[in-house]
Amino acid sequence: MNAELTVFLVDDDAAVRDALGLLLGIRGYRMALFANAADFLAAWRPGWAGCILIDIRMPGMDGLALQQHLKAIGCELPVIIITGHGDVDLARQAFRADAHDFLEKPVDDDKLVHAIDEAFADMRVLASNSARRATARALFPALTPREREVMELVVAGRHNREIALLLDISARTVEVHKARLMDKLNVDNVADLVRMRLLADPG
Amino acid sequence: MPSPLLPARPADWLFAILFVVAYVTLDWASFMDPLFALNITPWNPDPAIGLVLWLRFGRRMALPLFTALAAAEIVVRQMPAGPGLTLLLSAQLALGYGLTGELLHRVFARATLVNSRERLFYWLAIVFTGLGLNGAAYVGSLWLAGLVPPGAFVSAAARFVIGDIVGVVMTMPLLWMLVVTGSRARLMQVLGSWETAGYVLLAAALVWGVFQGHIGTEQYKHLYFLFLPIVWAAARHGLTGTGLVAFTLQASIIAVVRWGGADGIPFVELQLLGAALSLVGFFIGVIVDEQRQATEGLRQSLRLAAAGEMAAALAHELNQPMAALSAYGKACEHLIARGDNSPLLAETIGKMVREAGRASQVVRRVREFFRTGAMHLEPADAADIIASVCAQFTDACRAQGIALAIAAPAGLVLRVDRLQIELVLRNLLANAVDAVGDAAPGARSMTVSAREHGGRLEVAVQDSGKGVSRAMAGRLFQPFASGKSSGLGLGLVLSRQIVEAHGGSLWAEAGSQGLFKFVLPMPTEADMVAHA
Repeated sequence: MNAELTVFLVDDDAAVRDALGLLLGIRGYRMALFANAADFLAAWRPGWAGCILIDIRMPGMDGLALQQHLKAIGCELPVIIITGHGDVDLARQAFRADAHDFLEKPVDDDKLVHAIDEAFADMRVLASNSARRATARALFPALTPREREVMELVVAGRHNREIALLLDISARTVEVHKARLMDKLNVDNVADLVRMRLLADPG
Repeated sequence: MPSPLLPARPADWLFAILFVVAYVTLDWASFMDPLFALNITPWNPDPAIGLVLWLRFGRRMALPLFTALAAAEIVVRQMPAGPGLTLLLSAQLALGYGLTGELLHRVFARATLVNSRERLFYWLAIVFTGLGLNGAAYVGSLWLAGLVPPGAFVSAAARFVIGDIVGVVMTMPLLWMLVVTGSRARLMQVLGSWETAGYVLLAAALVWGVFQGHIGTEQYKHLYFLFLPIVWAAARHGLTGTGLVAFTLQASIIAVVRWGGADGIPFVELQLLGAALSLVGFFIGVIVDEQRQATEGLRQSLRLAAAGEMAAALAHELNQPMAALSAYGKACEHLIARGDNSPLLAETIGKMVREAGRASQVVRRVREFFRTGAMHLEPADAADIIASVCAQFTDACRAQGIALAIAAPAGLVLRVDRLQIELVLRNLLANAVDAVGDAAPGARSMTVSAREHGGRLEVAVQDSGKGVSRAMAGRLFQPFASGKSSGLGLGLVLSRQIVEAHGGSLWAEAGSQGLFKFVLPMPTEADMVAHA
């Protein structure tokens, strides 16, 4: 079930990298190992899905810096931070930067697997959202300007009669526009329409 | 069953007898200027012995104290109150001193001296209150018995109380120090200093000079000179010094009064002056002591902090192999659980053994440092040390394509602990190898060089890594300053300690390339001959 998702591990310690890679590989995860932040960033492609395990203490760019950098370049992989010392301050920083989890070395493998599975679940929600967002963005251009106006007012919660008054057209015409635009956007009810509208334009 | 109030062993009997003898002797020596031929004198140091010993031994002192008080009345004053009343009055005094002593015994858990302002205050409060009440009650009894004229109660009580308090305040600290083992050692140490002889002699000479009229023309106008020795003693040796000077002042005043030096000034006033001087000294002394303790405490906590840093660095270095070990172990568990007896299992177990070795390597390195913590200095050629350490890195350099250059002329001889300096160099080279790992494969180089520079040997380890910033150069020597997962945490902290223990210094130079330098003092010809 995890076939399409990968665990990306960034740790500078060769033995730790090898051991965690082996352990998670045996437990059925597809693994990709990196010795440092630069290697990972050089290899990263926007389509990558799964989660990323980052060791906090690394030469060059450290774990928290990598986490920040990933956010900046729009990488949405859930981040699990691994640290050698349970430092509250580091954990706080990691969570403020939306880390998915924060684990201490030596890592308890059940905890790690649990964290990865949760991260994968998040990733799937994220992935389906972005798929729907892509569809929505693809469909909106098919609307005529008038249909777009009607849609915005419907989404804003106006009744047909109000819309008719505001746009200075008949209620009957409003109904026609509404039916046509919902048809074009492939939604059955107003609730779905609102959801789709919000997804397409979260701002 | 032995009574807690009676001496049990022969040694205790001897002690009690010695105490009574000492008490009576001191009473005799201080029996001067008495009022109504009673023991109402302006100087009454004998209770100090009683209080100190009560403080030390508790209620066991009750009987010896009573005996001493009664004996003094019999021997020194031939019982002006008659036998029965004398015994009764002695019992009353023993009770009063005993209660005061018991209070001191409770507040100052035995064997502990005044060592803070708070305790000094408690001591003075107990002494003033206890002896004040006791004196008033005693003189009251004398008055009731008709031994003190009806109108003289207040003046007699005041005289008695002042005599007691002054005697105790000026004599008790020194006796106290003699009784407590720790402070006795400190007293002996202070007595060994020339300054002690200086302020003690100054105190005696000033008392003599002031009262003989040698200092200044009008007698007693220059009493303030006496502040000099007391402040000197307090500032230099704390309470120990002040206790000595207070006793000296007291002894000098007594000597001067005994041998007729001081006329025209009431003895009581001299005594009050001495007590005031001593109190000033005690307050300065206790603050000096407190400050010394605070400094000592700070030094101790710095040592603890260093040990803590060491432990944290050690924990960090051990954590990596531990993390790998536990993950490998878990992997083996899963392999075995699924009945997988593949070569992978054997290979993983092999890796576990290797990681365990790595962990014990860390432990060994720390132990090596601590074992060599005491330095064994020996002549060593810098070029030899550099060559032998670099030889340990040739494999690593070849594997990573690092060009390692050595520029160290032979004949630069040091007197160092060779093992420790090798450890420093090994740390610096290991860091350099890690640092050049960031550089492109074609641009990886390291240089180790040594040269003499103004009577000191300067060793530089340079690498083509990206170097450190100015801000980082200072922080590097704090544990965990670097982002590295292993090595640097412990290494640089220890390395700097080692180099500094050799009288040298170790630092990182900020720049676009990595550069660590350390200097060590070079021995002169004479040094080498002396240690040959």
